[in-house]
Amino acid sequence: MTKKLFFNPARCTGCRACEVACSFRKERVFSPELSRIRVVKLDEDGVDIPTGCEHCEGAPCIHICPTRAVRRKADTGAVVVDADACIGCKQCMVVCPFGAIHFDCDRRAVFKCDLCDGDPECVKWCFTGGVTYGETAELPAGKRHRTARRHVKAQAARGKGRAGA
Amino acid sequence: MSGFGYGGYAGFLLFADLTKGTTKRIPLEKEWCTLYLGGRGRDARLLFERQDPSVGPLDPDAHICMSPGPLTGLLGPTTGRVNVAGRSPLTTIYGNSNAGTNWGPELKFAGYDGVVITGRSQSPVYLHIHDSQARLWDASRLWGEGVFETTARILEEHGPETKVAAAGPAAEGGCLFGSVIFDFWDAAARTGLGTVLASKNLKAVSVRGTGAIRVADPDGYYEAAREGWQAILDDAGFRTGEHSALGTSICVNWGNAQGWLPTRNFRESHFEGADRISGEEFRDLYSTKEAPVPAGRACFSCPNRCKRYGRIDEGKYAGTRGNIEFEGVAAFGSKCGVDDLAAVFHAYMLANDYGMDCISCGNTIAFFMELSEKGLIDAEGLDLRFGNADAMVEMVHRIGNREGRLGKLGSQGSERAARAIGKGSEAFLNTVKGMETIACDPRASKAFGFGYAVASRGSDHLRAHPVFEMLKLPEGVGEELFGSKEAVDLRKYGGKVRLLFWHENLAAVTDSLGSCRFMHASYYAEYPVPELVNKYAKRRKDPSKVHSIKYHRWFEAATGIPMTYERLMEAGDRVINLERALNLQWGLRKEQDTLPARFLKEPIPKGPAKGELFDPEMLEKMLGEYYDLRGWDRESGLPLREHLDKLEMAGVAACLGKRGLLGKGKGEV
Repeated sequence: MTKKLFFNPARCTGCRACEVACSFRKERVFSPELSRIRVVKLDEDGVDIPTGCEHCEGAPCIHICPTRAVRRKADTGAVVVDADACIGCKQCMVVCPFGAIHFDCDRRAVFKCDLCDGDPECVKWCFTGGVTYGETAELPAGKRHRTARRHVKAQAARGKGRAGA
Repeated sequence: MSGFGYGGYAGFLLFADLTKGTTKRIPLEKEWCTLYLGGRGRDARLLFERQDPSVGPLDPDAHICMSPGPLTGLLGPTTGRVNVAGRSPLTTIYGNSNAGTNWGPELKFAGYDGVVITGRSQSPVYLHIHDSQARLWDASRLWGEGVFETTARILEEHGPETKVAAAGPAAEGGCLFGSVIFDFWDAAARTGLGTVLASKNLKAVSVRGTGAIRVADPDGYYEAAREGWQAILDDAGFRTGEHSALGTSICVNWGNAQGWLPTRNFRESHFEGADRISGEEFRDLYSTKEAPVPAGRACFSCPNRCKRYGRIDEGKYAGTRGNIEFEGVAAFGSKCGVDDLAAVFHAYMLANDYGMDCISCGNTIAFFMELSEKGLIDAEGLDLRFGNADAMVEMVHRIGNREGRLGKLGSQGSERAARAIGKGSEAFLNTVKGMETIACDPRASKAFGFGYAVASRGSDHLRAHPVFEMLKLPEGVGEELFGSKEAVDLRKYGGKVRLLFWHENLAAVTDSLGSCRFMHASYYAEYPVPELVNKYAKRRKDPSKVHSIKYHRWFEAATGIPMTYERLMEAGDRVINLERALNLQWGLRKEQDTLPARFLKEPIPKGPAKGELFDPEMLEKMLGEYYDLRGWDRESGLPLREHLDKLEMAGVAACLGKRGLLGKGKGEV
């Protein structure tokens, strides 16, 4: 059982409530710059793309960290940073494929999403499905069943057509 | 909060003097925060304080303010608003316009509650702000470029996360309704403040902010913001999903069904081609977002997502893309009698790229179409009649480029054009105080209509946005809030003055706080409406489960300034009284609190609102009642000293007294 955050650009409105919700939960201030989740807004193209840590299985940030400050938490599966052990070398920022690790200039350490210990704040402010938190296995299962429901509808429609003819 | 003492605010304003080429950071006046809140309210206060009434809108000494509010940039429903204010070149009275953006929040994160600009640069410049660094950059290569190209180039120069507010070539050329466009598509367009920017040789104001905003009471704040958010999600109108699915363009078919969709320069209020320019049509043909959810794009921290982004891939308008709203669609669509959505979309985006207010632009074209059909103007080789999409698009170019006589006249707005044309053309105007009327026929919807007559920036719905009368709410809600059951009937007059007064005050508050009109005046999620709707509902919810946006609590938790509902509504009244004071200084008089002849004399000829008129006698009566509520003298429309004193505006009263602009109330001679 692994839960993760799913980012779905097609369902993101680009409102960025997730960003300020995140910074508030983590830092008690409103600041997208301190948010662990970021929405890339391409206004000219009318596209909004939520981005954040994918908590990769073979997380390059864990492998590159020279002080083992980046590790995986057993309970949530989240890749987390121990700010006290971080030496600020920023190698994890370099190897992260998603730009999901940030540097805090005040603390002189990196920070990133820790899934709020299994209760992510960003999800509470997103009701269009731009960011959701769920079981990895349920993602394809949900899609399978939505497809199946469309088949049910299609069959019902065919039945009606015959009855009316 | 550091140092400043109040949460929510960044604590500083950025002043830029373009004549000297300098910028400086000035601490915010704390007293103005409690009295005028921020945004629209503080902008009016700044203009009153700093701009001599003799200074013309486009003079170098004129000021322009661009101000988010204390809630802008925070978490909560609709905290992306920014206010732009100055003296309007179009109307020569108070001009302001408000936009839902990411620019406003970004300015707060950069550490400013507003930018105030004065002076005139010798050569074209743009102001770029990066946190505490603010400086003027050369814009000679951007001058003459469209808004879209300008925005794209500034993003290239300063990075893709920069937010850009830009003026367009129409404003540079002197079109009097130039817009300020934020991040490609978000317009603060009404009253022509883009022209004020351009008159200063200022092409754009861009900002990148990486700081943080604190609030006074974080736990209380979270609770208030969360309740407001939930109130939106619970709202009956929001729950239909229609507004979210279609954006404001939902009003095309809705307004048509209710008989208030202005058609052919307000000759009619029902458009046979409405279906073809509707929100549904746009969704099906051009929208690029997944439907039904989310379907649209949202301003900062807003659950509503009313921006409709779309793209035309084929045909003669291929390549057109951008965000649309109802007003632009109606301006170039039904008002011009055009039912070709591609042409309407294209004209709309052209107007944005030229940097022109689409409402003033579309209305002016519609006005010309009527004059041309009546033979009152020479159409200069165009077949300028209602419904001709090609002529409509061509006119946008001509006005944007000030090409030909009509282009030049059109760029000055329809009222000035009528004065130049003469021949009785004034009879076809739809302007109040020099500003073109938005897309809702005042004869068919009386609170809207009355609102146009008194709005402080001229004919306008957003000073109040009294959608209340259109929603068929329980009569009891209208009676309890506004003293008449007729308040919920859009054709009737009863209760409409109090309805408008309440909406105007609340709108002034939200414009000042940096939140959006739609949350209390499209949806009705604002205290005390959800509570009242529940009280009179057929099936009532447990009152403890009814949520509402309580701006007073929300503001108090953010700033630490004690606030009640009544005090907040009083702040709204204060803002509107101050705007009245500004307008009086700039020459406005009671006689201009009226509606154009067409709405008072010509009944609507057909459609669902057939026979409706705005009764001139009723208007007089309503004005009297309105002046009483506002504390203005019935005879002269001038504010009374005792009311201004009650609003803690003794200084403003003294100023008006010196200029002979106070009403003759008790104790005045």
